[in-house]
Amino acid sequence: MKKILQISLGIVTSVGGFLEIGSVMTAAQAGAAFGYQLLWAILLGTLCLIFLVEMSGRLAAVSKHTIVEAMRERFGFPFFFIVLIGMVLVAFMVLVAELGGIGLSFQILTGIGFPWWAAPVSLLVWLLMWKGTFGLIENGASLLGLVTICFIVAAIKLRPDWSSAASGLVPTMPHMDKAHYGFIAVSILGASISPYLMYFYSSGAIEDKWDESYIPINRLIAGLGMTFGGVLSMAVLVTAALALRPRGIQVDAFDQAALLTTTALPKWGFYLFAMSMLFACFGAALEISLAIAYFFAQGFGWNWSEDLEPSKDARFSLVYTIIILLAAIPLVAGIDPVKVTMVSMALTAATLPLAIVPFLFLMNDPIYMGKHRNGWLSNSVVAIVILISFVLAVISIPLQIIGG
Amino acid sequence: MDSALSWLGTAEMAGEAWLRHTTPDKYTRQTLEHSNEALRPIAHDLLEAPPRGIDTALLAVVLAQSQKHIARMARLVRERNAPALSSQLDSLRADQKVVKQLADDIKPKQ
Repeated sequence: MKKILQISLGIVTSVGGFLEIGSVMTAAQAGAAFGYQLLWAILLGTLCLIFLVEMSGRLAAVSKHTIVEAMRERFGFPFFFIVLIGMVLVAFMVLVAELGGIGLSFQILTGIGFPWWAAPVSLLVWLLMWKGTFGLIENGASLLGLVTICFIVAAIKLRPDWSSAASGLVPTMPHMDKAHYGFIAVSILGASISPYLMYFYSSGAIEDKWDESYIPINRLIAGLGMTFGGVLSMAVLVTAALALRPRGIQVDAFDQAALLTTTALPKWGFYLFAMSMLFACFGAALEISLAIAYFFAQGFGWNWSEDLEPSKDARFSLVYTIIILLAAIPLVAGIDPVKVTMVSMALTAATLPLAIVPFLFLMNDPIYMGKHRNGWLSNSVVAIVILISFVLAVISIPLQIIGG
Repeated sequence: MDSALSWLGTAEMAGEAWLRHTTPDKYTRQTLEHSNEALRPIAHDLLEAPPRGIDTALLAVVLAQSQKHIARMARLVRERNAPALSSQLDSLRADQKVVKQLADDIKPKQ
């Protein structure tokens, strides 16, 4: 009974915690600019994420190591340090984007500019980290994030042509704007396959004391939770394709995205969008802050647990305190969180090999995984998607910069 | 041209949503002001280096008119004057149609 409850809660929190500013803005941009044509990128990203999340949980359950601990142990400190720099830089940019997303949600609700919200929002995130437990962060924020289901309702109410939508699941090239198309595809893949989610998930499995009996539960949570999450992202894309594209609206700013649900849900659409973004970004900001702190603490061998008193893992607590403080600075200075989002998502995709390749080695290492090593299917799917993301990023990021 | 049409569409949609009482005053006003701010450099760039074959004089007039309509709409939201905003919205839609036509005319030549 306890495990059934854990499965349900795991799936529900995966759904509620899936969307964040990156996935919403990239999916909305894709739908507004290219209709259903980029649905395949969400499908591919979600498929890869299912495998990666399942692997993260399996590694923790079998080896009793988080990804970071195992990576440092297996590849040594110098290699770990290179990964640390790359991952923390990208995760930091994503944290700025998420805190900015909370500020922008407050901005559209109150009219007070997002820079004014940067300090109070960061303080609130820090306070929850300082006082809260892992369970509160994992379940509380994600349960509130269930409001994002409004995107599915909106997409269905707009009556999409399902056969056209299904054709978007097969990759095709557009006639024009190929660089922009590639850049959005990369950003979608970066938003879907977030390495911080893997670090958070494997650390969570250790916090929750998983053992090998959790392998089937882990598989269910990763499979169902991430699939439902991917459907949410697709719903955002479909809604943008039907509500914004016919009017020629491209989603370059948050206030444009806020119009997404006003056609399908005239009475509550605007407020549901604002609340969705508020809770989704809040949950993501908590998870990223924790993931960065886990990365440092596990890599350097410090005490770490969100369930410990801050005095018992002082260096772990100090890391998230400093990171949250630093992330607030660009927002107070007025840097546009949407621009940070788009750049950070593309950079995430470009740096995926750095995070995923050593992880794949770990998942195939009999010392860590014993008989639970990866099969050919999970190795192939993850390797192919990471290769596609990397190649697309290397081609489209310079093209996008040159083309403005 | 696509960017100009995007912000004109944003202003139109924000105005319509406000008339349906589905968005708050402050958000609507800020979105209209933002649309106008975004349109200004786009219009400037379009007129500095117009797309080949476009009727520049007509584009200049219609973009200037659109910006005026959007600025008025933002003011009317502040005054909560729905009937006047509705008529400004109609004028904006007419301008939008002209810009769309101009964009469609040059597309085959690009």
